[in-house]
Amino acid sequence: MSTVTVQALPIEDVPVATVSRGQALWATLRRKPLGLASAALLVILVLTAIFADVLAPFDPIETRPEIRLSPPSRAHPFGTDDIGRDVLSRVIYGARISLWVGLLAVGIGTAAGMVIGLVCGFWEGRIDMILQRVMDAIQAIPGLVLALAIVAVLKPSTTNAMLAIAVVIIPGNSRIVRGAVMSAKQNRYVEAAQALGCRQLHILLIHILPNVTAPILIIASIWLGNAILIEASLSYLGVGTQPPTPSWGLMLSSTGRAFMEQAPWLAIFPGLAISLAVFGFNLFGDTLRDAWDPKLRRRG
Amino acid sequence: MYKYVVRRFLLAVPVLLLSSLIVFSLMRVMPGDALIALMGESGNVGERELQKLRRDLGLDRPYYAQYGIWLWQMVSLDPGYSIFTNEPIAVALKKSIPVTLELATLALILGLVIAIPVGVLSATRQDTAPDYMGRIIAMSGLSLPDFWLGTLVITFAAIWFRWIPPLGYASLWEAPLTNLQQFLLPAAVLGFRLSAATMRMTRSTVLEVLREDYVRTAWAKGLGGRIVVYKHALKNALIPVVTIVGGQLGTLLAGTVIVETIFALPGMGRLTVEAILFRDYPVVQTNVMLVAATLVTLNLVVDLTYAWLDPRIRY
Repeated sequence: MSTVTVQALPIEDVPVATVSRGQALWATLRRKPLGLASAALLVILVLTAIFADVLAPFDPIETRPEIRLSPPSRAHPFGTDDIGRDVLSRVIYGARISLWVGLLAVGIGTAAGMVIGLVCGFWEGRIDMILQRVMDAIQAIPGLVLALAIVAVLKPSTTNAMLAIAVVIIPGNSRIVRGAVMSAKQNRYVEAAQALGCRQLHILLIHILPNVTAPILIIASIWLGNAILIEASLSYLGVGTQPPTPSWGLMLSSTGRAFMEQAPWLAIFPGLAISLAVFGFNLFGDTLRDAWDPKLRRRG
Repeated sequence: MYKYVVRRFLLAVPVLLLSSLIVFSLMRVMPGDALIALMGESGNVGERELQKLRRDLGLDRPYYAQYGIWLWQMVSLDPGYSIFTNEPIAVALKKSIPVTLELATLALILGLVIAIPVGVLSATRQDTAPDYMGRIIAMSGLSLPDFWLGTLVITFAAIWFRWIPPLGYASLWEAPLTNLQQFLLPAAVLGFRLSAATMRMTRSTVLEVLREDYVRTAWAKGLGGRIVVYKHALKNALIPVVTIVGGQLGTLLAGTVIVETIFALPGMGRLTVEAILFRDYPVVQTNVMLVAATLVTLNLVVDLTYAWLDPRIRY
């Protein structure tokens, strides 16, 4: 009997596609230096946002007119702005606003898009037709313009900018989830669950939902970068975060533009922060896609 | 084919109607009457004057009537008057549309001029230094905020070259040289942003096509590298790129909003931003609808072009 078990073991041990998502991601990160760099960038960004109070050398809204517009120095590596606030501290606190807006906007947008996509993809028919036309109608309006209009209606603030960005995100997400649900429905195990008499909600949540999470996470990561960009644009246009809160976009528009020639550091550092954050999320999204979605691997 | 075109047109109608409904409802839930915002500018205004103005603008009618009137105005191409400037919206649009059209066209051309050669280079030299450079340029195009790039370009042109684009706006027909000086930088900023996605798509489709049998045949019969890449491979690789460029049109129109604001170009984007800030809702409604209608139409055109370029696609 013992010989039988010894022979059987190697067969069971053959790793048949049991790579978890974490392992797949790790393998890709090790193969792609740019992917690893993006992950490191995001970790730094998140840590900066969390530990802003500890990291920032000065109070981000404390004004000291006697040192206004002083160029980068040892005490103020990023210089000071037109009312003597430390730019480095403001950029560090800005990470908090950007990340917070990005995460919540993408969270709300993704959740809403997912519910709509699940309903449309699973039940199809008339409800799908109607909801998808509504999504088309939202998508017909360029994202930034729609967000601008929504914020103007709700009153300019960080929270409202976030909600506006969430609305912009919904249609694209709903479409991706809808597609994923429709292809997941073709699986035999779904048919089997139906034949066994499982409730529809059970099939949807237990058998179909897991197929949808990978594309959702990939797209959410890319949207995070976009959300940060839209928040910065809205703040830049004066309808996002309001002064004196340090938001990267606002820093660029309020003081960055006015004192650009006199004090270029006021525009350079917040702009660099936005670019790095967005760059990190875009690149990380690409890496996730490489790791989890072999079908898309060869696409741009 | 004709059936498909008709069906697409029929589907576009409810979509645009829904868009108009979304825009209209948004404008009606604005907190604080637009009129009060307007009157705030001119100081104290009596209740009676407010009511008169409200009646003149048709704001005292029920919402469905207001919506109906507005729809009719849009269909009959007479969008009414701006609350803020009292100017007919049609006149304001007539002045601003050519500006945006010129900016968008130039940006699109510049974007393609950057994107396609770099994309091809990236693909033919896959995983070498030029490829990495190209991909980093593309990623930067996606990540650098256009308002930042615009601000930097203006400043450094002023500091390094002592050159600032001529102020005001000169029309292309009256002062072509001044006009080009004014449009080149904003179009370049916008074009750079647009080139990113196109570059990535060009790279991946060229990579795919280069593995095809007919390309191998072309190599095998001794054709030169340039002929194989540009004459045989690129022609087919560019087909999906058309879709990407089509998908970029929304980004392009949104980009004009920011770029026109920075470079002080009196286009539709700036008109819309100002209207939103001043709550000039007839102008906002009209502009947003115009943009939506343009996008829906252009997307249809892109889909049809696709079928024309690739004979395998039949609708």
